Amino acid sequence: MLDAGVIMQMLLAAVGGTLIYTLIGIAPGTDETAVLAPVTLVLVLTGLEPIVILTFFMAAIIAKKLTDSIPVAVAGVPGGVMAAPMVEHAIVLKKHGKSDLSIRKMASGSVIGTIVAVPVSLLLANILVPYADQIQGYTNQILFGGAILLALMSKNRWIALASIVPFAILIQGLRHLYWGVGVVPEGTNVFISFFLGITIGPVILTLFELLNKDKRKAMNRYDNKTIALQTEQSQKGLPNPFKILTQQELSMSTLASFFGSLLFVLSPVGITILLGELVSARVKDPVKKSTLAISSMDALTNASYISGTLIPLIALGIPLSPVAIGPANALFNAPPVFTLEHNMHHLLTKTDFIWAVVIGAVVAIVITYFIIVKYAQQICRFVFKWIPHEAVLGLFFGLVLLLAHMDGGLINIGGVLLIGLVAGFMHRLGINYGVQFMVLYAAPWIVTQLAGLS
Amino acid sequence: MHHNKQPHSQENIEVWADLVNIKDLLLALVITSALTLGAYFIAPNEEPKPLYYGLVGALIGFIISSIIIKPKRKFETTEDK
Repeated sequence: MLDAGVIMQMLLAAVGGTLIYTLIGIAPGTDETAVLAPVTLVLVLTGLEPIVILTFFMAAIIAKKLTDSIPVAVAGVPGGVMAAPMVEHAIVLKKHGKSDLSIRKMASGSVIGTIVAVPVSLLLANILVPYADQIQGYTNQILFGGAILLALMSKNRWIALASIVPFAILIQGLRHLYWGVGVVPEGTNVFISFFLGITIGPVILTLFELLNKDKRKAMNRYDNKTIALQTEQSQKGLPNPFKILTQQELSMSTLASFFGSLLFVLSPVGITILLGELVSARVKDPVKKSTLAISSMDALTNASYISGTLIPLIALGIPLSPVAIGPANALFNAPPVFTLEHNMHHLLTKTDFIWAVVIGAVVAIVITYFIIVKYAQQICRFVFKWIPHEAVLGLFFGLVLLLAHMDGGLINIGGVLLIGLVAGFMHRLGINYGVQFMVLYAAPWIVTQLAGLS
Repeated sequence: MHHNKQPHSQENIEVWADLVNIKDLLLALVITSALTLGAYFIAPNEEPKPLYYGLVGALIGFIISSIIIKPKRKFETTEDK
């Protein structure tokens, strides 16, 4: 049973997660995995109660998803990868001078997505539980199959497929090197810092390129980025998502969220584009079409994030969705605290899950929804004006160095840079994060199988 | 902190979907890395203190960088509605 101390910690974690990710969600160009995974990893390593961490994570993703569409509406700049599909529709509304409406519709869509996804995910996870034992017996094969499946589903499928074995060898090569020189005890797989190395791979590659004079000279140069903001106007009264959305938007958002939750194993961006365009395809009026598209897309991104985290976590304890393998990764695997045999799936009861999710979701929605609908313009202006992108990159780089050293000493800083270089190059060749993360999980098995064959 | 000989010249590059100035980026990386690892190394050698010290170092580095570096964005306010 939960005691008051733990509930207090959960509430604090939810408020903290909400406030931090309200600001981060707005900062342009923040990738979901890059901003959620490191912080969650760090919290897991500090040894907080698993239920507190899950509460934090739920509040964080809901706040992040509620807010990352705000700069789209206000300035046409996506606040994250997931908000990118909405840009086109938001710009239509901005042209019609309806940024305000855009924000209210999107935030309301998010709320609907959350309300639908939480119960659907809990139900679906319970349906899957009886099969969990059988599935868990094949964890390695499933992760390897996942890498192949994600490769086949990506845009550049052949190169993604061809990269699986070489990348697995690089990862295992470094691990065996560390065991050989004695910086890491044999059998301990360095994981966290490699994961972060992959995440900021594209940045590492660009940083190395800056050291090459010719490359540096050849880079495109830009003047400061111009961001158009509308004059500030504040809303009166308390917003209500059921009044802000029309009947049609409400039912389409609900429907899209429901199907988005069922399709939790697919890429959230993919589902959002596909279903989002599908629901709005038949509407002719440009403003109505766009409000319908953005409200249901925002509902969908929220729903697919929640279901992609909760279903694999509750039912299996194996990260079997793009969300679970990316942003939510630390809930599944963060050695030495969590491993695939010992993580939240094994530590939390069904009631624990419900409490964590409900507290996280309610706190995030209450705070973000009301703040955002009222102060969207002001928050955007603050973030754009005071947070330089350089500082954000510096922060990630510092965290990567720190965790690299903790994982395997000085030599691992070099190792993580190597992983980052290769991963960044692979990313540029069109091999997406999902494939790379799956290979990171499947690498020990792939290499053992290869060795057994020869 | 940084010397712009031609303040209006185009000297920003794009890294990870937003614009940065190379010198400013270098400055932010050096400040944050030095503070993070510096704090980590001076921490008492008992878990989880090195991690906490390192995190505080990273956060201080982030705040210092945010203060001394100007974002590469400018605003236009449009009148609508």
